[in-house]
Amino acid sequence: MDKVHIEIDGKKLEAEVGSMIIEVADEADIYIPRFCYHKKLSVAANCRMCMVDVGSLPKAVPACATPVAEGMVIQTQTAKAINAQKSVMEFLLINHPLDCPVCDQGGECELQDLSIGYGADVGRYSESKRVVKDKDLGPLIATDMTRCIHCTRCVRFGQEVVGIREMGATGRGEHMEIGTYIESSIESEVSANIIDLCPVGALTAKPSRYKARAWELRQSSSVAAHDCLGSNVYVHHRRNEIIRVVPKENEAINEVWLSDRDRFSYQALSEGKRLLTPRIKRNGEWHDTDWQTALNKVVAEMKRVIGASKGNDFGMLVGNSVTTEESYLAQKLIRGAGSNNIDFRIRRRDYSGDGSGMVRSGFNFPMEKLDEMDATLLIAADLRHEQPLSAFRVRRSTGFGQVMAINPFDGEYNFRLTHELQPETNLLAQEVAAVVAAADKICPDVLSAEAKEWLASVEFNQTHEKIASNLINSESSCLLSGVYVQEHPQAETINWLIESLALITSSSWGYMTQGCNAAGNKIAGAVPMRSAAGGKSKPGKNARQMITEGMKGYFLLNCEPDVESIWSEQALKNLQKAEYVIALTPFADGRALEYADVMLPIAGCFETSGTYVNVEGKWQSFGAAVAAQGEARPGWKVLRVLGNLFELAGFDYESSQQVINHLREKFDAVGDIRVARKIPSPLTLVDFNEATRESLGLYKVDPMVRRAKALQQTPKASTHHISISRVKT
Amino acid sequence: MKKAKQLINSFLLVELLKGLSVTWRNMFRKKITIQYPEEKTPQSPRFRGLHALRTYPGGEERCIACKLCEAVCPAAAITIEAAERPDDGTRRTTKYEIDLFKCIFCGFCEESCPVDSIVETRVFDYHFETKGEQIMTKEKLLEVGRIHEKQIAADRAADARYR
Repeated sequence: MDKVHIEIDGKKLEAEVGSMIIEVADEADIYIPRFCYHKKLSVAANCRMCMVDVGSLPKAVPACATPVAEGMVIQTQTAKAINAQKSVMEFLLINHPLDCPVCDQGGECELQDLSIGYGADVGRYSESKRVVKDKDLGPLIATDMTRCIHCTRCVRFGQEVVGIREMGATGRGEHMEIGTYIESSIESEVSANIIDLCPVGALTAKPSRYKARAWELRQSSSVAAHDCLGSNVYVHHRRNEIIRVVPKENEAINEVWLSDRDRFSYQALSEGKRLLTPRIKRNGEWHDTDWQTALNKVVAEMKRVIGASKGNDFGMLVGNSVTTEESYLAQKLIRGAGSNNIDFRIRRRDYSGDGSGMVRSGFNFPMEKLDEMDATLLIAADLRHEQPLSAFRVRRSTGFGQVMAINPFDGEYNFRLTHELQPETNLLAQEVAAVVAAADKICPDVLSAEAKEWLASVEFNQTHEKIASNLINSESSCLLSGVYVQEHPQAETINWLIESLALITSSSWGYMTQGCNAAGNKIAGAVPMRSAAGGKSKPGKNARQMITEGMKGYFLLNCEPDVESIWSEQALKNLQKAEYVIALTPFADGRALEYADVMLPIAGCFETSGTYVNVEGKWQSFGAAVAAQGEARPGWKVLRVLGNLFELAGFDYESSQQVINHLREKFDAVGDIRVARKIPSPLTLVDFNEATRESLGLYKVDPMVRRAKALQQTPKASTHHISISRVKT
Repeated sequence: MKKAKQLINSFLLVELLKGLSVTWRNMFRKKITIQYPEEKTPQSPRFRGLHALRTYPGGEERCIACKLCEAVCPAAAITIEAAERPDDGTRRTTKYEIDLFKCIFCGFCEESCPVDSIVETRVFDYHFETKGEQIMTKEKLLEVGRIHEKQIAADRAADARYR
């Protein structure tokens, strides 16, 4: 790339040809005021606030839309620049209501800040101001459209980043209004990002409306707990109450965005019905008790049930958002107590590959690379509803690359697909096999003879061939499978096929996983076939067996199998039938009240320190933002004390950091072991009903999201949007 | 010469008489002592006494929960919690408390208020009997405002030129 030499405010800088003045200035830490410019959006140059004085030009020019040129001398503080900015500010303030005292943006408003520097103290405008009717954008976003300064950031965000045009500008000049095109609320799963983008108080967060001022809030870094990407967030809290959650910039994961689910789930913690003290059920009635009594009771009952059945009839189910520390201690506890029945994969149907595959499931390439793929094949990946932010990246790659999909349900995409296969859900494996067979035909030297034999009987057509050749001929390509693949009755076969296809086409591959910590739970050993860090274990019962066969005792670690499992009805029946059910949960509602015998209050996420391992294998540790409510304690502490009460060795941790360091050492010693997948048994036709996609839906994925009030009011929460399998007529 | 003058002065008790003349003069001057609480000293319209929250003539509270007073308070004596008022969706306080033990009566809260809601009245004589009474809750503050509204309004009007 060619470089040019420019000078901003006397600072000599080198810049790439084609970059805009504002980009160069930002990089050199020279501040130029702006409203419409945003580094992640296209240049609109409609606010005219970023005027700078370029030596050779007679008038001030907008820094966001003026490319640098060799020898340019730019001044940001001359009278020419400042006067231009002051005039712009005067125009902006003509119609702005200046209702800062009642505006939620007050204190963190870009217009407010800049009007201190560039606004006149006395207005010259005495004509009438315009008033714009507020728009109803749904339960997440509050509007005050009179405050809008028409920077169009929200419009450009929908158009460019999300790919769904929900906001738009109608009318011109004085009559311009920002709103939804048709009178409807905003429905996209990433809509609330426009709250962050809005430089004024026109768009603000509804759940935290009027609750706090920016200056009262304290900020803690944390990690979002509702999808496997592990988006970085800031938790803003005041007097031990979480007020809001906003994105923390991390180019490698969430860039500057955050999905609505990660942003508003905190509501469950601050407004949900929380379990505040340990409870024991006696004669069908709940009694509050103290920790000592409750824990002693739990230990006695566990000993009784495990002892009576030699560990066979007691099982532990681990929830979706449990931290790595918690699942590590949990598996240590249950294995120490004499049972190997522990599993976090409560939505898995196929366990045939339990001995093979990786210790950690996920991507074999960094997520950032999704942006740059020339060819991407999505396999039952409903990105928008499973990992909303990953859809941004895949969408970006459609600018130059191709995205293809094997899509067994009516997935909604926010980008154009070049090829799409639409098999029924029970024929997913056959369809993937056809692509592999087609690829094998083009590159016959890669697969082993055995694998070829397996594929021999698979038929394929032109579309399969096109997909295969696209993957082979692309410089960079990847295969991305959705959460549903891991729930499919032939998951292992499909996984093997995906890895074979990756081998032939030299593509990267990645499995999206359910929950935020599937990788961490697997490393921690919360699975029946392996202990921590891939260690050996006597095989125990898997989640499906535990749920469908029924057990005498259950230990539920922040898990509600009666909702989350595929076999939810059976789960409920068996939980009710069980002799003793121990539930560790932050919430005091739901069916656990019916089936549990003891409930121990644990901290929700943001209230406990811990570590999540995301889908690329990044270990992200975080501290507690606020203290747990009432008598609730972080889950790892409860499990630690239970370990002590069982008199097990190796439970003397004093912080979650010690726990994770211990696990990390173990994991680093063995590395990411990969046992090669065996060639699966020949393809059989799966019963259609056995393969239905019982999707949890966007806002039902874990106990916390299910209790977040505002999210539950959105249209996306009520519809079981894509759970219906397509039936061919 | 100087010594002789000193000697005469001390024999004739000149200095004593000088001092006594102050005493006698003041004995017949008009008294400035007032009989509190029957009598009270005059107060400036800017007097900074007990706080009050004002209402509009229609009875609507002025405070809009902008929290500027809370932010400006150097003694951190003000605690505010705000929420949307259910009936009309306006921004209102759900809790507005001033801890009078913390308050230093600087008047910043009054100065920062964009709607003239929180004011300091001329009331300065009050007492607490039990711990906790020093917390002026929103109800108490509004009540003080209602009782003294006439005086408060008159004081603001008198000082309007300088505000």
